Amino acid sequence: MAQNNGRTAEATLADGTKIQYVIKDNPPRGGMKYTYFAPDKSYVVQFYNDPSVTNDINLRKRIEAIIGKYNPTLPEQKGGARGNSETMAQYFAGKFCWPTAIVVQPEFGIVSPAYPSNFFFGENASVIPELNKDMKGKDKKSKWFTSPKLRKYLKESELGDFRSMLQMSISLARSVRRMHQAGLAHSDLSCNNVLIDPPTGGCVVIDIDSLVVPGLYPPEVMGTTGYIAPEVLETTKFPFGDPKRILPSSYTDLHALAVLIYEYLLLRHPLVGPKFYSNDPVEDDFLSMGPKALFIEHPKDHSNRPKDLRVTIKDLGSELESLFLRAFVNGLHSPDDRPTAMEWEKALVRSWDLLHPCENPKCREKWFIMHDISNPVCPFCGTRVKKEDVLRLTLKSQIRGKTGQWIKSGEITVYHNMPLFKWHVYANTFPDEKTDRDLMAYICKQNGQWLLINYNINGMTSPQGNLVPQGKAVLLSNGAVFRMSGDPNGLLVEVSCGK
Amino acid sequence: MADYTRRLPVYLLLDCSGSMMGEPIEAVKQGIKALLSELKGNPQALETAYLSVITFDSTARQVTPLTELMQFKEPQISAGGATAMGGALRVLMECAEREVHKSTEGQKGDWRPLVFILTDGCPTDTSAFNQAVQDLRAVKFGNIIACAAGSNADTTYLKQITENVLMMNTLSAGDLAKFFAWVSASIGVSAKACDAAPGENFELPPPPKGFVVVP
Repeated sequence: MAQNNGRTAEATLADGTKIQYVIKDNPPRGGMKYTYFAPDKSYVVQFYNDPSVTNDINLRKRIEAIIGKYNPTLPEQKGGARGNSETMAQYFAGKFCWPTAIVVQPEFGIVSPAYPSNFFFGENASVIPELNKDMKGKDKKSKWFTSPKLRKYLKESELGDFRSMLQMSISLARSVRRMHQAGLAHSDLSCNNVLIDPPTGGCVVIDIDSLVVPGLYPPEVMGTTGYIAPEVLETTKFPFGDPKRILPSSYTDLHALAVLIYEYLLLRHPLVGPKFYSNDPVEDDFLSMGPKALFIEHPKDHSNRPKDLRVTIKDLGSELESLFLRAFVNGLHSPDDRPTAMEWEKALVRSWDLLHPCENPKCREKWFIMHDISNPVCPFCGTRVKKEDVLRLTLKSQIRGKTGQWIKSGEITVYHNMPLFKWHVYANTFPDEKTDRDLMAYICKQNGQWLLINYNINGMTSPQGNLVPQGKAVLLSNGAVFRMSGDPNGLLVEVSCGK
Repeated sequence: MADYTRRLPVYLLLDCSGSMMGEPIEAVKQGIKALLSELKGNPQALETAYLSVITFDSTARQVTPLTELMQFKEPQISAGGATAMGGALRVLMECAEREVHKSTEGQKGDWRPLVFILTDGCPTDTSAFNQAVQDLRAVKFGNIIACAAGSNADTTYLKQITENVLMMNTLSAGDLAKFFAWVSASIGVSAKACDAAPGENFELPPPPKGFVVVP
């Protein structure tokens, strides 16, 4: 075998195209597949551990559908998902490592793009010099960044901060929402299949070949411990194909999604606490993740609550708190009650607008969600925000057909150099794959005063009703009310200070 | 916050008898190096796996106690002497008894240990071996995988220890390297998956090509 190491081999794709890959001894191997890289590393060729899949017609049909009509990374006119534009395809191409072709020779396999280089560790990621050579080139599985033990091995420059964790949570929720919107379920979302790059806030979902595709025979995957929904774990005693066996679906994805978001934001697992279930570790884990799973922050049952819990879901604001309660209290054993990916995406985006930089230069998390302006304290380090720096903008949209009647649509807590985008200006836009990220306005503090500067908005008016042209600013003083834009969808802003 | 992560103890039982002298023992040393390097790049393994090495020649001893991967120092090993495989199993049971945390109220116990045995011969301490095999049945291990390397390895003894017996036709550096790569993949899978219903063992990745699973 050794003489084959480094040899370039040729694979034939389903359409007859031939591509090259480099054979390596002991290639990276997962539970299902092993991976060879292209000579220029721009794509990977993956074969299955079990070569009998060559004859698995269900697998082939599923992958054909995934590559084609369900593919959100390919525009519709190039054979991708229905309604997918070039922009949307481009957006999701950066969020998924979506397979591009089926290999038929030398055996059944798939081709996927290689993920961007920022999702691989460089030469200098660890504080422990001898670990660097082992980590170099390894992919940035989420686990590296959510395990307190592993974080200690990483350089601070690799770790990002609370804001980057929130950014990646939004990205993940959006990617899952996109799959679910098409009726697809990932079926094995986990800290291994979501790669993250905290310094850039990037997040990419991988292992797309085991998706559950509507109307097609489901893949025989169970998921990864810690992310398997309780009902799936509980019914593994039934054989595959038994109607009592609950298989991965979008509902079980929603459990895994909530676990990942919780891990990103709070750096711990929502179900792993001190509660003792059994002397037998296998049984103990089965019960603690399955039939007896209990949220460590359960509001009434404190039997799994770590004694030294400091930052909790309450510190994330009421919106995220209530979603976590739905996911891990009401919805833990009742899949229908779990928040959808769309709900997560919305709540996370709204929480993003409440981010505030911590003034303590030594604060590890650097940012926090300032959800309570009457008590503006960083939950991570305890630093209180100065009174003059607490300013909230309440955004209101006009109720359709009822001129002069407004309903609250969002909130912003301001900080110096905060950028504002279309969704802060117009009621009918949402920050998703369709909306551009062009700067519309920004907020800054100058000579002790807070200003909102119009960068690219037409028809902004001042609290006094005067037009605020581009390049000019509105003074944000307590009680001020003004229109972001005179457009019918233009939002109304109310300014309030902390007490 | 307190750490509630469960540890995965991994015991490597390595044959260092005289027949391993020369290339094989060097390949084993390289294999351990590669194994460590691979596992340190795997976040799950780095978080949960703890490694111990037990060697056996005319006697058996634990050369590295169960150690966190980051603290693990490659042991000094050399080949010579007979094949006290029974002694090695005895040492394994003693070490596991002492080192593996049991689950109790207030303490997250360890996973059942994963055991890899590599040998190129057969036990020379047969009565100790037979007794050890008897006693081993009472101890709960996650998975015991025995690998018979080279043409002199006798799988019938290994079959008494575990159902998972692999055969490697040669003791070449290449084959031993593959063995260690497979060990690291198995540890990686165990550390992340253990996706079994209670009582089931971990599902291990398929052995590399060139290996024969003894039926």
